[in-house]
Amino acid sequence: MIKKDLSIDFLGVHFENPFCLSSSPVGNCYDMCAKAYDEGWGGVVFKTIGPADFEIDEVSPRFDELTKEDTPFVGFKNMEQIAEHPLEENLADLRRLKTAYPNKVLIASIMGTNEQTWEELAGMVAAAGADMIEMNLSCPQMTSHAMGSDVGANPELCKKYCEAVKRGSKLPMMAKMTPNITDMVIPAKACMAGGADGIAAINTVKSIANVDLDRKIGLPIINGKSSISGFSGKAVKPLALRFIQQMRDAEGLENLPISGIGGIETWEDAAEFILLGSSTLQVTTAIMQYGYRIIEDLTNGLMHYMAEQGVDHLSELVGLANKNMIPAEKLDRDYKVLPYIDWDKCIGCGRCLISCFDGAHQAITWDEATRRPTVDPERCVGCHLCKLVCPVDAISAGEVVMKAGRVGTAASKEI
Amino acid sequence: MTIEKYQQETKGYTMTTVMAEAARCLLCHDAPCSAACPAHTDPAKFIRSVRFRNFKGAAETIRENNALGSICARVCPTEKYCELACTRTEIDCPIDIGGIQRFVTDFEQNANMDILKKGPANGLNVAIIGSGPAGLQAAATLLTLGYGVDIYEKNEKAGGYLTYGIPEYRLPSDIVDIEIQRILKLGANITYNVTVGQDITMAALKADHDAVIVAAGASVAKTLPLFAGNPYVQSAVDFLAEVKSNPTGVDLPANVLVIGGGDVAMDVDTTLKLLDVKNVTDVVYEEFAEFKASDKELAGTQKQGVTIVDGYVPTAVNGNTVTFKHRQLNSELTIEADKIILAVGQQADVTNLGIELENNELTHGGFHTDDPKVFVTGDLAQGDKTVVVAVQKGKKAAEEIHRVLGGQTND
Ligand SMILES: Cc1cc2nc3c(=O)[nH]c(=O)nc-3n(C[C@H](O)[C@H](O)[C@H](O)COP(=O)(O)OP(=O)(O)OC[C@H]3O[C@@H](n4cnc5c(N)ncnc54)[C@H](O)[C@@H]3O)c2cc1C
Ligand SMILES: Cc1cc2nc3c(=O)[nH]c(=O)nc-3n(C[C@H](O)[C@H](O)[C@H](O)COP(=O)(O)O)c2cc1C
Ligand code: SF4
Repeated sequence: MIKKDLSIDFLGVHFENPFCLSSSPVGNCYDMCAKAYDEGWGGVVFKTIGPADFEIDEVSPRFDELTKEDTPFVGFKNMEQIAEHPLEENLADLRRLKTAYPNKVLIASIMGTNEQTWEELAGMVAAAGADMIEMNLSCPQMTSHAMGSDVGANPELCKKYCEAVKRGSKLPMMAKMTPNITDMVIPAKACMAGGADGIAAINTVKSIANVDLDRKIGLPIINGKSSISGFSGKAVKPLALRFIQQMRDAEGLENLPISGIGGIETWEDAAEFILLGSSTLQVTTAIMQYGYRIIEDLTNGLMHYMAEQGVDHLSELVGLANKNMIPAEKLDRDYKVLPYIDWDKCIGCGRCLISCFDGAHQAITWDEATRRPTVDPERCVGCHLCKLVCPVDAISAGEVVMKAGRVGTAASKEI
Repeated sequence: MTIEKYQQETKGYTMTTVMAEAARCLLCHDAPCSAACPAHTDPAKFIRSVRFRNFKGAAETIRENNALGSICARVCPTEKYCELACTRTEIDCPIDIGGIQRFVTDFEQNANMDILKKGPANGLNVAIIGSGPAGLQAAATLLTLGYGVDIYEKNEKAGGYLTYGIPEYRLPSDIVDIEIQRILKLGANITYNVTVGQDITMAALKADHDAVIVAAGASVAKTLPLFAGNPYVQSAVDFLAEVKSNPTGVDLPANVLVIGGGDVAMDVDTTLKLLDVKNVTDVVYEEFAEFKASDKELAGTQKQGVTIVDGYVPTAVNGNTVTFKHRQLNSELTIEADKIILAVGQQADVTNLGIELENNELTHGGFHTDDPKVFVTGDLAQGDKTVVVAVQKGKKAAEEIHRVLGGQTND
């Protein structure tokens, strides 16, 4: 079995591996976090702790899922707010965790209601033994508009509350961003100006996943009604990656320390977040669906990837893909890549034919006797829709052809 | 005669289709499939790795538990082991565990992975008699523990029934060769064309080694007295070995009579059909209800167009003409054929090896013999006579030697 050093330093704290529970029910209490540490998670962001006087009163049921064909959990919608357990109990759990697992990273997620409570909570979790603080500026379904994503969308409040937290404790601190905005660079800069040491992104995306067609109510139904609330899981990964790239690309944020969150399920997802600039990674939905045991394939798979890349330290991979994302107007538009259809692998279903005709450029012809498709190189624009719909991976990138009148050679293209 | 059909293995999964099959897996908490794999190949763990797209990790799980993982993927009677236990059966049909294992081990091969590592030498040496699956797995386990391993094989190639029995369309020779190469690369020495007890004595092996493992299998065909000396008769294992070693070299007539109803007989039947033999008639002692061959093998054979007659015993033979009587009914059957293949079982030949067997296996469980230095494994030890169980017994026998010789595990 492969062994590689997955450790990484983030905001001055040493993680034995970059994988953490993100703040949510997966890290709700001592027993859960202890089990996660035992199974190999490098860190825990404990479920967001609020002020003692802010009462949490949750609905039932509180989840819904987006499916596609027979795939469950394409995306996951939740209506939870912050920790349901009393403040004192949460602080006691933090103390116990730090004592029992001194070498694992313990991060306290907090959410205040005003400058004073942010500052007080920061002091309390620091005293309880947390190694780091994460500010939850991003829960989209709080019952108070002075909390959650309404705060995260307001740069002045972000800055003010970051300053308050920094007054409350000297611990390294990251601010957790809401994706329910157009430009994440603005709140991220405001938080950094307020003293944040790094950024965690993303929290959940405001959503309605499904509507009950007979009752005409969104899901889940709570006494005949529903609410817009946060969406997470695989479906939000592309959004998370985009926000992370945009922050790392912004002037002044080039080396922004990031904890990446949103739809991480496999080591490949994890590697993508790292290549786009994340140093640590956080997971909730995949754990809710499959359990802490997914850490085995996350760590082992990432080790194999490091070996393939010839890398001994994870930090060498952080941000390597940032420079390869460029504005659309700067992309090379001088050539097309024809699809290559391997007739030995082809099973003759004709899905490429249908998609090419109905969704692309009518470039595939069909031999009715042999049930085999052929690509017309003139009509084909090289969009590769056919490759994506093929159920048996029989279509791959084939010949590179220069568009008429363009300079340069097909051979020089990195396809 | 064309040999293409005989050499053609069924198509394996692609990246997309293997993900679809892995997605059917329920990822059970207590994974009954893993508990049901004799060799502890841990299907639950490697299928989960596939689900999370960690194909290299999946390969590590298979290889570290089973040095013949790509072979087992193809030949395991999974319907008796892992797939029999699969919870998915409660919904529709079990996960195709063998197929997923085949995909992963092919991936391992394409990625040039070297998973098993030779252990630091501990100065001890073990001799192994026989290079079938049991001998090969014992060698792999001992080599990873730091032992020197010398294998003695009476045939000119290694592999036992993997090389000389299981037909090409179910187990390509290339796959067997690759698996054997891995074990040679770990440091096994194999001496070919040496029959222990005849060309070299047991005493000599014992003098040169700290332990001796007898993994000689049931490598000789059984026969029936009625057919003694009959020039039309060939044994099933001799026939299968001949075809597998040189498929273009065999000359087959139009009418072949097969006698026997186990999986080996089904392999003979199907092989004959794939080699374009026109009439293949298999007369079987058991009736279908009590058939020895698995349902899968039987169905596959019938699909090839073999005529299977159940419930008859041969009572008289006159050259190429055999008369059978039904075991219950008053019914007689006479068949004239150009060739007769007897698939009535295999037996052990342990001449001069100093081992006591009863019904071709040890009279007690485990791997010890009366001689503290000599161990028995594979088909000669008690338990199922399958490749995966031979692997399990090879591993266990090696671990037992390690325990007896006072070795420490090196990890
Ligand atoms: C036709 C056929 C098809 C089969 N199909 C399947 C299948 O699909 N799935 C499955 O799980 N099982 C199958 N089996 C059973 C399986 O092959 C055996 O259970 C397995 O090979 C036993 O392994 P082994 O190592 O104990 O012995 P073997 O594979 O029999 O190997 C014994 C080796 O020892 C060598 N040897 C014997 N005596 C000496 C000596 N004195 N000196 C030196 N070398 C010696 C032999 O040459 C041989 O190489 C099949 C068997 C046959 C015959
Ligand atoms: C049920 C549930 C509860 C959550 N509670 C919190 C919370 O208390 N604090 C917080 O910062 N984020 C919370 N989140 C957001 C997650 O921490 C995470 O940012 C988001 O789910 C995206 O990651 P994922 O796709 O791996 O789930 C919650 C998410 C879910 C699904
Ligand atoms: S998951 Fe647990 S808490 Fe939630 S409804 Fe089911 S039993 Fe109750």
